[in-house]
Amino acid sequence: MTIKKRIFLAIAVQAVMILMVCIFSYMAFRNMLSKLQTIERIDDLNISLLEMRKAEKNYFLYKDVNSLEEAITRGEDRYGKIQALEGYGDTLNPQAYEKLRDNLELYLQKARSLLQEQTPPPNYELEFRNLGHSLTALSETILRTEREDINKIIHASIIRLIGSLGVIFLLQLLFGHYFFKVVNQELNRLQWLMQMISSGKIHEAVTNEVPHNEIQMAGKALLDMARELDKREQELFQAKKLASIGVLIAGVAHELGNPLNNIAMLGQAYMSIYDMLGDEEKKTFMGDVLNQTERIQKIILKLLDFSRQKKPELENYHPLEIVNRGVELVANQLKISNIKLHLNADEPLPMIQVDAPQIEQVLINLMVNAIQAMPQGGEMYIDIASPPPGEQVIIAVRDTGRGIPREILANIFDPFFSTKGTKGTGLGLSVSYGIVKEHGGEITVSSEWEGKGTTFSIKLPAAAEKGA
Amino acid sequence: MAPRIIVIDDENIVCQMSKRVLEQEGYQVETYVDSTEALERIKTTPFDVVITDFKMENVSGMDILREVNQRYPHTRVIMLTAYATLDTAIDALREKIYDFFPKPVKIDELKKAVKRALDTR
Repeated sequence: MTIKKRIFLAIAVQAVMILMVCIFSYMAFRNMLSKLQTIERIDDLNISLLEMRKAEKNYFLYKDVNSLEEAITRGEDRYGKIQALEGYGDTLNPQAYEKLRDNLELYLQKARSLLQEQTPPPNYELEFRNLGHSLTALSETILRTEREDINKIIHASIIRLIGSLGVIFLLQLLFGHYFFKVVNQELNRLQWLMQMISSGKIHEAVTNEVPHNEIQMAGKALLDMARELDKREQELFQAKKLASIGVLIAGVAHELGNPLNNIAMLGQAYMSIYDMLGDEEKKTFMGDVLNQTERIQKIILKLLDFSRQKKPELENYHPLEIVNRGVELVANQLKISNIKLHLNADEPLPMIQVDAPQIEQVLINLMVNAIQAMPQGGEMYIDIASPPPGEQVIIAVRDTGRGIPREILANIFDPFFSTKGTKGTGLGLSVSYGIVKEHGGEITVSSEWEGKGTTFSIKLPAAAEKGA
Repeated sequence: MAPRIIVIDDENIVCQMSKRVLEQEGYQVETYVDSTEALERIKTTPFDVVITDFKMENVSGMDILREVNQRYPHTRVIMLTAYATLDTAIDALREKIYDFFPKPVKIDELKKAVKRALDTR
């Protein structure tokens, strides 16, 4: 389910619960209000009954017929009120009202007959007064019960209100926690994905084929975009390679042309001055021919290296280990050429993911170039810089040699581009470029012409987190 | 005095073979693998024929040609090149080149060219 839908659902559940609490509270208050009205009426009734009885008492004290008539009038008035109360429907005990009404009716009957018969029977007064007494007692009982009842209702309402608010609060917390967890988890995954992409591990980064929510969709879109970009970059790289085939062919023609010419000239001269040659000289001629064929062989091997495009077999190495292996191989040349090596490595360095022999080849290449740039000796610096998190490790090889002229700086990675004449094939840097590119890294050059030296920097992807 | 010939090519074998064959023809031959040294030599010493490679480190065949033309109008220059393109040929012809040999060089042709160059001086 999408996060939007989930949020909507949670809000809907909350809203329904709050609405229910509102309805419930409204009903409880209404109930209380009607109870209060009932109590008011019963109270009213009670007072009237007491007044009726006061008139009744006066009658018996002063034998005042008017008082008895007043009592009857009040009683009749109240009788109607009781009926109204009974009809109210919300009363606690209908039987009690019925009894009250019946008793009042009986009381009124007796009062009326007392009014008609001037001389009441002997026990009539006591009986009548008892009836009146029970009437007020009953009314008071009803009043008390109703009061107790409303107290109960108020208590129960308060408890229910607090309880349901508590449930809503808990639900709120639960939803909050749930959404925090979901969003946090998805964001973490997205962050991981971005790190994978930025460190060039596009094919190790995997997302659900069918994204389930918005953040996963964003992640998938991001990955798709990165893959598309990667694809295009590779296409572009291939296109560039194709473009450089023209340069390559011209290079091959020149590189192979020279030894071929040498062989041709050796052969022609050999035939032309054959009679004048001694045995040793003839051997030298043939040896030279063989040397030239070896030279051709070497060019062809390098050319194959260049065209092979071997996928690097990646393993985790400490950058210093790789650099040291390379340095060992050129140590002797450094000594002969009177070059001092300064090796600086940041601490700590992350592991790098490389094909060790390939990267060693690149480093040796750069170091040999540096040595050749300093025929009078000098200093060679190798700096290994620890990258900020998520970025690549930089290995820089710097020399204090003659530098590279600005106008050819852009061509130095082209195949067969060489400034070394017969000493180089012009393939070293272009092969190095290919290797570093295949590692998902980058190789750059900066140079100050006129003796301030050259720096080649290789950027290589750090291995996954753990090997810091 | 035998005609003086200078051969400049960063391929040592080209120098050595040219020297042997041309010396057999009776010429006095100097060879240079380093074109910078050759240029210095040319500045101080006149030659009758200059045989030079086109593409060399530091000082190119065209540099040699210009230097010779400027100093010695009667010296003939023969250019050798591993990959002859129209552009290089045209550039060289503009600079009054005597002959142009694509590699691999045919030595007999080269001998004839040198002889012709000396005859037409």
